[in-house]
Amino acid sequence: MQDSKSGIKGSDQKLNVTTIPYVITGKDVIAWIANKMKTTVEGLAAQVFGNMLVAYGYIYPLQNHKKLVMCNDNTLYRFQTPYFWPTQKWVAEDSDYAIYLAKRNIRKKGMLEPYEQAHYNHLHKWLNHKWDFIVMQATEQYKAGKERKKPDRVVFDCQERAYWMINRPPRRTHSAMDCGPDRLIDPSVEEKITFDQYRRMNIFYQQAIMRSKVKSSVSLGALVKYVTTYKNHDAFLAPCLPSNPWQTDSDAYWNLNMRRVDVPTKMRVERWSFSLFELLTDLRGRDDFKIFLKKEFSGENLAFWEAAEELKWGTASSMKTKAETIFKTFLAPGAPRWINIDGRTMGLTVKGLEHPHRYVLEAAQTHVFLLMKKDTFFRYLKSPVYKDIQKKALNPEPHNFSPAQLEQNAQSRGPGIHPIILWQQEEEEKAKAAAASAPVDVKAMMSKIDRKK
Amino acid sequence: MSRWCRSVDELATRRRQQSECERAQEALCKVTSCFQQLATSLGASADCSFLREEMDETRALAHRISSGLSRRLIRLLSDSDSAPTGQEDRQVSERLWVLFLSVLESFLSDLRKASDLIRQFPLGQRSDRRSLVNAGCLDGVVGVAARVASVQAPWLTLEEESIPDLTNHITGLEAILSDMQLRVPVPFWSVEATQPLWVEAATELDEPEHSLEDLMEVEVVSDGNKMATCCQPPCCVLGCVG
Repeated sequence: MQDSKSGIKGSDQKLNVTTIPYVITGKDVIAWIANKMKTTVEGLAAQVFGNMLVAYGYIYPLQNHKKLVMCNDNTLYRFQTPYFWPTQKWVAEDSDYAIYLAKRNIRKKGMLEPYEQAHYNHLHKWLNHKWDFIVMQATEQYKAGKERKKPDRVVFDCQERAYWMINRPPRRTHSAMDCGPDRLIDPSVEEKITFDQYRRMNIFYQQAIMRSKVKSSVSLGALVKYVTTYKNHDAFLAPCLPSNPWQTDSDAYWNLNMRRVDVPTKMRVERWSFSLFELLTDLRGRDDFKIFLKKEFSGENLAFWEAAEELKWGTASSMKTKAETIFKTFLAPGAPRWINIDGRTMGLTVKGLEHPHRYVLEAAQTHVFLLMKKDTFFRYLKSPVYKDIQKKALNPEPHNFSPAQLEQNAQSRGPGIHPIILWQQEEEEKAKAAAASAPVDVKAMMSKIDRKK
Repeated sequence: MSRWCRSVDELATRRRQQSECERAQEALCKVTSCFQQLATSLGASADCSFLREEMDETRALAHRISSGLSRRLIRLLSDSDSAPTGQEDRQVSERLWVLFLSVLESFLSDLRKASDLIRQFPLGQRSDRRSLVNAGCLDGVVGVAARVASVQAPWLTLEEESIPDLTNHITGLEAILSDMQLRVPVPFWSVEATQPLWVEAATELDEPEHSLEDLMEVEVVSDGNKMATCCQPPCCVLGCVG
C-alpha cells in the first residue's frame, strides 16, 4: 500500500507550525483497495474494508479522531505504527491506560473528557496500590517524549490517542474490539470419541427416529402465528415505548409497567388479549380479571387455580395444611366455593389428596384453566371492564434524547427500588386482599344494619 | 543500651537502603519509559539498526538496575521480617516492593511486544525495509538515547554482569517476578498511594504544552457537511464511533 509507485499517493500534511509527512486521503485508500480487490460493485466492499481498517486501528483519522470511519473524500488519515496495532495477544492493560490518562492530565492540566475523567477516578480507586508507579511512569514518559523532535512528538501523541480511542472507546459507541467471552475448549483440536460415546449416540438417534413428529407446515404455521401476534411487543423488532431503558438509561418504561400500577400501558393491555396464559401470568392482568369475575360472581375457578399454583410453588412444610384448606373450600361436596369439574377428575383429585404432594391438583387445575379459557376469557375480552381499561390505558410518547441528555441519564442512574421494599408492599397488599375477601359474617352484617336503624 | 544502639544502627542502614532503592526505582522508570519511546518506532519507517542497538543498550541498563534492585529489595524485606521494625518502615519497604513489581510487569509487556515486532519486521536485508510502515515519524531517537545515557543508578558502576539477549531477558524477568512473588508475601491492597488524585495536573512541567494540542488540530476547512454525508448507512456497516 505504501509503495511509491503503485501504492497510495502519500503527501505531506501541512500544520500550523510544521510539516508532517506520510498522510493519505480517504478516497485514495478506497480507490486503491477497490483496485486491489478488483471489485466491480461501486466500491461498496472497498468502503466497508476501509471502514474496518479504521475501526480496528490500522489507519487512524487525523481530522476528527473520534469518528472511526473511512470517508470517501479528501479527509486525511495516517498509518498506525505496528507497536499500536491491535492484537489479541496483548490486551490493552488498565495500568497502561492509567499511565496514558495521567500523561494526558499533565499535558492538558486536568482538562480531560468526561468519560476519561470517569475512567481516571475509577482507576485511581482500583489501582491505588500502583498509583505512585503510575504517576512516576507518566512523568517519565512525558519527559522522554519531549526529547524527540516536534513533528515526531505530534505524531506519537496522535498515535497514542488513536490507540486508546480504539481500546477504550467513549460511552455508547460501537467498538470493533468487542469480542465475546473466550472459549475454554479449542474447537479446532481433534477430539477422540470413545466407543461408549458412539454407543450412546446410536441409542439417542434411534430413539429420535422413533419419536412422533409434527409436520413442518404445522409447526411453521404455529411459529408464524406467534411471530405475527408478538412482533410489535418484541423490544428487538419494534421500538419500545417510551424508550428502551438499556439504550437510553431512562427507567420510565419499567416504572410504567410495575406490578401495582393504576393505569397500565396500552401494549400491556393488548398483550392480555393474546391468551389466557398471558393474562394470568401478568399479575396486573390477573387483578383486572378478578375484578371482572367478582362482577360475574364466578370467582371460584380463578381462586382455585391460584390456590393450586400456591400449592405447586409453596414450601413443602405448608403443603398438608394448604391441601386441606383447598379441599374444604373448593372440592368437598357443599363447599362454600365449589368448583364444577367432571366426576372423573374430582374422584382422582380427592383420592390423591389423601397423600398430598406438589402436583396432586394438576389435573383439576388444567381442567379449570381450560374452562376459563374456553368460556370466561372471551366474555372478559368483550366485557365493559376490559374495554374500559383499554380506553384508560396509557400510550406514552417516545423519548427523544439528545446526546447531552443521554450522558445526563447515564450519570444519574440509580439502583432503583430495593426488592425488600417491593416485597413488603406485596405482603401488605396480600394482607389487605385477604381481609377484604374473608367470608362475610352475615350475623355481624345484620346487626350493623339493625343498629343503623 | 547496646541493644538500643544496634537497633538504631539497623534503622539507619535500612533507611539508607530504602532511599537507595527509591532512587533506583526512579532510574528504572526513566529507562523503561525511554525503552517504550524507542519501541513505538519499531516496524515503522524510523526503524533502523541504530534504533535496535539503542534498544539493546537501554534494555541492558534496565536489566542491570532491575537485577540489583530486586536483590536489594528481597534482602530488605526478608531482613525486616526477622528484625523487629516499626510499622512505617515495613510499609515503606512494601510500597517499594509493589512499585518495583509494577515496573517489572510493564517493562515485561513492552519487551514481549518489542520481541514480537522485531521478529515480524527483520532488518537483515535491504528488501525488508519495504515492509516498514510509513507511520510519519522521521527519526527522533537521538534525544531519547541521550536521556537513557544520563540515567544514574547507585550501583551501576559497581556491578558488571553479562547482558542476556532478548528472549533470555524475557524469561529471566518472568523468573524474577514469580520468584519475588513467591518469596515474600506482600499484600498489594495494603499499599496506598502517597499522592492524591489529579496531583500531576497541577505540577508545572517546563514550558507550557498547550501548543502541542493546537498542533494536532488539523485544519478542518469547510469539512463539516462532508463529515455528515460520508456516514450513510450503506457504507457504515460497523457503525460510527462517536
